[in-house]
Amino acid sequence: MATLNITYNGLSADYPLELDAQVSDADLRRIAVEVIRAGNVPGLNLQHLPDNAFDGFVVDRLQNGQRIYLRPKVPFGA
Amino acid sequence: MGAPMRIVFCGVGALGSHTAVLCRNLDATFVFIDFDRVESKNLLAQAYVKQSVGKNKAEALKAQLLNFHGVKAEAFGVRLTKDNVAQLCAGAGLLVDCFDNAASRRLLSDHARLSGVPLLHAALSGDGTFGLIRWDERFSADPEDHSGQATCEGGEHLPLLGLLDGALARTIQDFVKGGVRRDSMVGLAAVTPTS
Repeated sequence: MATLNITYNGLSADYPLELDAQVSDADLRRIAVEVIRAGNVPGLNLQHLPDNAFDGFVVDRLQNGQRIYLRPKVPFGA
Repeated sequence: MGAPMRIVFCGVGALGSHTAVLCRNLDATFVFIDFDRVESKNLLAQAYVKQSVGKNKAEALKAQLLNFHGVKAEAFGVRLTKDNVAQLCAGAGLLVDCFDNAASRRLLSDHARLSGVPLLHAALSGDGTFGLIRWDERFSADPEDHSGQATCEGGEHLPLLGLLDGALARTIQDFVKGGVRRDSMVGLAAVTPTS
């Protein structure tokens, strides 16, 4: 069981995810939209989340793929 | 007791300038690298005061730390390149990446991996809702949408910047005092450790 952490509009939440095979970044973006719309991600209750909500978001796979982060791009600093 | 750690801040804009001020109590030698100059619009989002407008950012931060807090620092008002990175970062015990572009972040990563110097990255999203603090071994630079893309020129992201700068300063403090390397994600409502 892996954990997908989703960050959207300044809020983050975890969603437990059963991964049978290698899931692509595009798949993860689609899954995130579906589970949020369905109200299955505590803290992220957005029933009308658009299909393209996570376009341009980055997928980080850490801890041997057991922690997956779907997050906004962070190009800025100074 | 050894010499104070040399902490090199690469980029002292919205992230680097505030974080350096929040690190002023550390027993460390601070080094600032930034080629840019303070503009009046920067006063709304960065640690600079009106008297620093027109000055090089690295030099201005050095002067402000000395004049306001009695803390000495070194400043290099130049652009970091592959030709000078080894010289500017020589002797560093910690590199802190607060740059605003992927190319400079990658240059610093390459140097850190070659030299073995610990490197801590900090970065924020363009909409000011999310920030990331991550050690180099787990970091890859996100590209801008286009070169020179600006963010937070009117200070609208200051609340997120405050959280991110504070979390970054704490991460630096924990590393200097105990060698701890903690990653964090920073949102509008929370700072979440991720390692």
